[in-house]
Amino acid sequence: MRRVAKILMALLRELADENAYRRHLAVHGRVHSGEEWRRFSEERLRARYARAKCC
Amino acid sequence: MRFLAHVFWVAVAAAGAVCLGGIALSRGEHINSIWLVLAAACTYLTGYRFYAKFIAARVMALNDQRATPAERMRNGHDFEPTNKWIVFGHHFAAIAGPGPLVGPVLAAQFGYLPGTLWIIIGAVLGGAVQDFVILFASVRRDGKSLGQMAREEIGKVGGLIALLTVLIIMVILLAVVALVVVNALRGSPWGTFTIAATMPIALFMGLYLRYLRPGKVLECSAIGFVLVMGSIFAGRSVAESSGLAPAFTWGAMTLAIAIIAYGFLASALPVWLLLAPRDYLSTFVKLGVVLMLAVGILFVRPQLQLPAFTRFVDGTGPIFAGKVFPFCFITIACGAISGFHSLISSGTTPKMIAKESHAWPVGYGSMLLESFVAIMAMIAACVLEPGVYFAVNSPAGIVGATPTAAAAKISSWGFPLDVATMAGLAKQVGEQTLFNRTGGAPSLALGMAHIFARSGGGQALVGFWYHFAIMFEALFILTIIDAGTRVGRFMLQDLLGHVWAPLGRTSWMPGVIGASAFVVGAWGYFLVQGVRDPLGGINSLWPLFGISNQLLAAIALCVATTVLLKMHGSKYMWITCAPLVWLVTVTFSAAWQKIFSPIPAIGFLAQAGQFEQQLAAGTANAATMRVLIFNARLDAVVCGVLLVLVAAILVDSLRVWTGILRGTREARVSEAPFVLSQLQTEEL
Repeated sequence: MRRVAKILMALLRELADENAYRRHLAVHGRVHSGEEWRRFSEERLRARYARAKCC
Repeated sequence: MRFLAHVFWVAVAAAGAVCLGGIALSRGEHINSIWLVLAAACTYLTGYRFYAKFIAARVMALNDQRATPAERMRNGHDFEPTNKWIVFGHHFAAIAGPGPLVGPVLAAQFGYLPGTLWIIIGAVLGGAVQDFVILFASVRRDGKSLGQMAREEIGKVGGLIALLTVLIIMVILLAVVALVVVNALRGSPWGTFTIAATMPIALFMGLYLRYLRPGKVLECSAIGFVLVMGSIFAGRSVAESSGLAPAFTWGAMTLAIAIIAYGFLASALPVWLLLAPRDYLSTFVKLGVVLMLAVGILFVRPQLQLPAFTRFVDGTGPIFAGKVFPFCFITIACGAISGFHSLISSGTTPKMIAKESHAWPVGYGSMLLESFVAIMAMIAACVLEPGVYFAVNSPAGIVGATPTAAAAKISSWGFPLDVATMAGLAKQVGEQTLFNRTGGAPSLALGMAHIFARSGGGQALVGFWYHFAIMFEALFILTIIDAGTRVGRFMLQDLLGHVWAPLGRTSWMPGVIGASAFVVGAWGYFLVQGVRDPLGGINSLWPLFGISNQLLAAIALCVATTVLLKMHGSKYMWITCAPLVWLVTVTFSAAWQKIFSPIPAIGFLAQAGQFEQQLAAGTANAATMRVLIFNARLDAVVCGVLLVLVAAILVDSLRVWTGILRGTREARVSEAPFVLSQLQTEEL
């Protein structure tokens, strides 16, 4: 049950880009800040909305 | 243990066969929706366990020792090995749109049986296979897109056709989903207020996320959800207020113009401000509502009120014209097989797959879940009384513009209906009328509202649940509209950049505005055409969307067949060839009929001819008639272009296949080289 809840939360964080943001901070060795989130978010959203959304 | 496993799977298969037999052979009495749920679940389990496993083991030879692109090209952004259940949820959230909800609702005009069988069988043998094979092929090719694979496996023509088809689908898709929203909100102050309120809520979320609490997407989405729920409650007060209700009571054309203007603005605004926050919110709402509906159906187990077959299998249906073959199979696209899924299977997902074996649950399993969503939509439509279902979904041009005329017409079809029932139902959900609310969304919302209300809250909450369902549908349709317009703009700018470089720069404002205006103008034109259509735009636009989506599926299956042919010769090509042959038969038959059928309700050219006669007789407004004639001919041309495209890629594929089978063409598999995986799944 705990494992299911853990996976569910991880899924929600993945869908919310929060996991991707953590990976971004880890890969670039940076710490969280408003400016860093904006930089990450703009790059990620630009890539996401260059692709069609499914019907 | 092995014996028990055999017994279990024999029992599952037998239960599936019994349930399918039960729903197929039941006549003249109402059946319980649980039969559909069990038939689908058992068939999916059997297909997943045996057919998909056969494809995974024998055909693809999935190998967990082989490093996937997520491992080899890991960069912390796109390429990232991820837990398979997280990728499953991510992939499902990406492929689930309004298609599997609206298509089955419209196809229910034939009765519950044709659509249900197509959803179940089509998904197990066609849709899930397509998604699975394309995902596998992309994983083996460094996460390449469908267009890139089409170019490499078939040739340049295939790649170009894939690009053109996506553009056409986008235009038709955006128009048809916008029409669904227009018809759901027309004359509905409650619905219009709720959807209008999502705009400032999304803007607030965008600012919150960027400046107040950067990175707190889940927290921000939870706040947004509470605010949206509040707006649904407030919507009732707005609808009951004599001062506010008129301000939110809009006609179809006003709504269409508002959505077109919105699409233009949203595609030019920064994505973080409106599009992204609403997309986060709509994804969570979508997953939550799908889960709620599944629990609701299992809890309530409603009886299906629509029969297995209706008289409209003969092609005289009021919702859309055309016989059950081929029109049932293009009306339900996304719930059974959808070409659009191949773009997702060759987009983000292959870059997240940690082990090759994960492609099995992600590619095949997600499509089965999507198919199950379509089954739930079919159930939600079929729990309505047939008279109510047809009253909501039939256009005024078919049943008459007054409630009395519509009730009389629908009753004459053998589906008793009285005006008082419809008036009571409209009052219950806080609408002025439920007659002629075409597009599928209102009837789906009605069915969902009754299931939710019976699950908890009682009849007093039917109005709330109805508008909750409308909000849920409109929320992600609007996200598709602005995201789609933006993508269309990028595609167009990419093409125009070859003509004049500044036009290709996505930061150059004149280029952005011009390209946005062009894309919005293209889908907006079809939307306005749908609003003006005397037979209701769904009759012309939904089949066009279905045909174009199935055409993209045909392209994906051509690529998949080529891949299998290069891997194994002709031994396993039937796996993708069988659904391909079926799709080509369906698409060609439907497109041919939509162009050349002599029946004006079906054939665009016959419809144009009928309008010409009315113009010549002077029985209708000349300017309106000329526009209608042009529109019918334009639809015929679009359909013709789609036919030519599918024919071109088929010929090109056949040329490649024949060459490989004869040995005159090299059957080189263009996979990335084998690299031994170092990744332990426990790390994920």
